[in-house]
Amino acid sequence: METCVSGRCDGPRNLATALPAGQWALRSLERHAILRIAHRSESLVPDTQDDPRRTFEREALPHLDAVYRVALRLSGEAAEAEDLTQETMLKAFRAWHQFQQGTNARAWLLTILRHTFINQYRRGKHQERQIDIAHVEQFTVFQDVQDADPEGTFFDRIVDDEVVRAIDALPEEFRETVVLSDVEGLAYAEIADVIGVPVGTVKSRLYRGRQLLQKALYDYAVEMGYITRKTAP
Amino acid sequence: MRSTVPPIDCHAALDRLYEYLDDELTPEIEAAVRDHLARCTRCFGRFDFERSYLVFLETRARTRGAPADLKRRILAELFTPNGR
Repeated sequence: METCVSGRCDGPRNLATALPAGQWALRSLERHAILRIAHRSESLVPDTQDDPRRTFEREALPHLDAVYRVALRLSGEAAEAEDLTQETMLKAFRAWHQFQQGTNARAWLLTILRHTFINQYRRGKHQERQIDIAHVEQFTVFQDVQDADPEGTFFDRIVDDEVVRAIDALPEEFRETVVLSDVEGLAYAEIADVIGVPVGTVKSRLYRGRQLLQKALYDYAVEMGYITRKTAP
Repeated sequence: MRSTVPPIDCHAALDRLYEYLDDELTPEIEAAVRDHLARCTRCFGRFDFERSYLVFLETRARTRGAPADLKRRILAELFTPNGR
């Protein structure tokens, strides 16, 4: 049995291959797997076996944090986000044979997450607000700050919690697009697949969503005195 | 050697702002935008500002992941032989 490449835990190198023997205490396996996720260590040996648990562990589990973050942004409640994450990962594992190797596992997991959220969790909770994109205010923060702080260093003074709060305050369709793109790093075509809209819609939502979020963070920075507003609000 | 990409103006460059930063342009158009940025201080400033902002956003919004206890529960459900 090989040992973990991270060198920081003493469990077997691969969780799935060790399981059939059943010799390892679950606690030790869990600890190993959790540490592996924490280390983000990659298996250095190419897979010759196609044990689904092994491939799922290697390709899907590293995206657990992303699934949870998106679940939290979609749902807005920590307990519900945990349930959503758990359900998404279990569904994904059961459907793992349908995953197309070589495509983005993160995008695939987030698609399952979104379907689960819409079909089972939303149920009439906060109604989807339809935003008329044409009527969203056009505003460019850069034009306001280019003389005072052209590099936007005032943003760096805004703490994590405030950034997350501002994201949560975005209308849903902009929020999910911005989160998938700017937080989780999906490509336009991947976002289009996850949400089920054309790439052009992703682009326009991303454009407006970014403007709205940047404006909200700028307003917050002004309020906190991190920068002085140039134009009248 | 000069590039063969036809030059674009500020308006056309700004139209491609996000697609450029998101790495979503074809190599030809990307080259045209890069060429413009090399010549235009004003557009370069704007692109630089937006890129820094996106780095800030990603950094701030990604600090937290799933709670350790949730990971433990999911792993137990996924990989326990008697589980699902």
